[in-house]
Amino acid sequence: MKPSGPETEKTGIAASIYTYAVYLFFYIPILILIVYSFNDATYSVTWKGFTLDWYRVLFQDTNLWIAALHSLILAISASMAAAFFGTLAAISLFRYQFFGKKLVHGLVFILIVTPDIVTGIALLLLFSLFHLPLGFWSLLLAHISFCLPFVVVTVYARMSGLDKNIFEAARDLGARDLTIFGKIIIPLLMPAIIAGWLLSFTLSLDDVMISYFVSGPGFEILPLKIYALARLGVKPELNALCTIIFVITMSFVVIAQRLQRKQP
Amino acid sequence: MTHTQASKYGLLSFAHHHIKRTLLPLREKLAECRMRDNKTIAQRWQNMRVEKRRVYTRLLSGLAAVLLSLTYAMPSFADDSDTLNIYIWGGEVPDDVIQAFQKETGITVNYSTYDNNETLYAKLTAVGNPGYDIIEPSSYYVERMRSVGILQKLDKSRLVNWHYLNPELLNKSYDPGQEYSIPHLWGITGIFVNDKYYDPTKITSWKDLWNPAYRNKLLMLNDLREVFSVSLLTLGLNPNTSDPAEIKAAYKLLKTLSPNVKLYIDDTVISIITDEDATIGMAWNGDVYKAMQSNSHVHFIFPSEGYMVWSDNFAIAKGAPHLDNAYKFLNYLMRPDIAAKVTIEEGYPTANLEAEKLLPASYRNSPIIYPNNAVLDKATFETDITDQSLSVYAHYWELLKLES
Repeated sequence: MKPSGPETEKTGIAASIYTYAVYLFFYIPILILIVYSFNDATYSVTWKGFTLDWYRVLFQDTNLWIAALHSLILAISASMAAAFFGTLAAISLFRYQFFGKKLVHGLVFILIVTPDIVTGIALLLLFSLFHLPLGFWSLLLAHISFCLPFVVVTVYARMSGLDKNIFEAARDLGARDLTIFGKIIIPLLMPAIIAGWLLSFTLSLDDVMISYFVSGPGFEILPLKIYALARLGVKPELNALCTIIFVITMSFVVIAQRLQRKQP
Repeated sequence: MTHTQASKYGLLSFAHHHIKRTLLPLREKLAECRMRDNKTIAQRWQNMRVEKRRVYTRLLSGLAAVLLSLTYAMPSFADDSDTLNIYIWGGEVPDDVIQAFQKETGITVNYSTYDNNETLYAKLTAVGNPGYDIIEPSSYYVERMRSVGILQKLDKSRLVNWHYLNPELLNKSYDPGQEYSIPHLWGITGIFVNDKYYDPTKITSWKDLWNPAYRNKLLMLNDLREVFSVSLLTLGLNPNTSDPAEIKAAYKLLKTLSPNVKLYIDDTVISIITDEDATIGMAWNGDVYKAMQSNSHVHFIFPSEGYMVWSDNFAIAKGAPHLDNAYKFLNYLMRPDIAAKVTIEEGYPTANLEAEKLLPASYRNSPIIYPNNAVLDKATFETDITDQSLSVYAHYWELLKLES
């Protein structure tokens, strides 16, 4: 939409209708969900009048909030750890030569395409082998491990786009590895790290399959809770919760865009 | 989007050009420095160490932040005696009941939910009990879990509120002697009909569903045992049969029902009935009762051939880490006032006889949700069948779905 961007061409009406249709297809379900969160009916899916009751019910349902808090804590911890270790892994994969590097690199992609159900069972067996109690820690380890490859791939891709001369130049100027790492590599990779972090955060926040296997009694998370509740008829308070989550996400996006616009 | 990318690439190429442009002169300068002044080198060395420390500090503080958030989030590993881990059906114990229990006893309840028995069973058998105290299998799963030895025998001397339970629902074939399970909520599978479309007095039995007038109208539950039970009951056979010939006969009869079936579904049934998207079919009495609250045209019929009854039952998982708290919780839920509250909020009939008396008249006088004992006598509990028989059912179930 910015005039300063690349030259834009006028598209035909058909093309823009098509675009809008695709967007409608994406957003209509969410809009319907938001509308239903204000519907004054417990089970009916026809419009029965406006109410804020479901939001009131939602705010009283402490279990749901505990689950939401757990999910948030888990997603933040897992994505931060994944971003940290994933970045290190990507950098070492790119910069250093070591035995079995190609294999390790290939394995990263295998992790991405491995079905969740396989990962879930494998992790469950591993945890039970080491007698790790199922709960927060098992969930965290599982989430880090399925987020990690996404960070590695994102960061690695950006790293390959960097000019190797920069590192050589820095070294010529007397910078040591750590300086290069902290002053050059990390700042240049930052967009990719943040992208990887966000990706991990989202993946962690809505994972059901793997979490199902490795969750334990002490730490119920939101996706599992919603999943269990939804089959017995979606309660309108779940619609209200999803609406709130959607609004929060939207405001994050808006804030992020505003911040970027302010940059020179 | 393009804007940010442009700025990123701008940054990149800027750094690149900047370093390239300054590369040669700086290199010369550096050589000069090295030769000319040892002190400068010492200074640079010093700078680098400061730099190094700064990077380390930054990394460490990042790590510390991660660790800190972890320890903050860490669930109570430390003090475990005041907790209780329950893993039960979603929507069968309301949140405020659990809140009240926590307040009354000081016990922290870790509350997890599932949406089908298979989930519960898998969770408990995959690698043993991961730490759950109280679970809530349905009747036929009590049988299965009992037989594989993952339920803890109940110590009835500790269940002081046991006498409030409805004897009609106790001592069934799934748990003889009621040694392992406590019925919590229960229900019956019958026929619902909307009087705006059909005359409810004309429907008295499962057989009536085969009436050609209901072509492409029936809602059937998407549950193989439930659907086969309709056919088996119509044939006058045992709905828990394992006989392949009987199952086949039931399938053949169901095949003739197919033209009448509109859809197979087992979730969102309440809204489908309420909104009249389906006007006749099979349904659980609890669902129909809820639908009736917002659509008075809906009726529930107990078919004359008989019907299936299910119950969801609390049980203690073997290896439960908090046995004392588990008994406290079970006693709490068997308290008539609490059981009544559960029924009012969740809308299923309670297995607690004393609690029935505390219910509002609208519940108590509703024959749908509180059928009398004569009605209950005709009900058959769904019992567990072997995996082998289940695969026979599953085979015909698939054929049925493929052909419909």
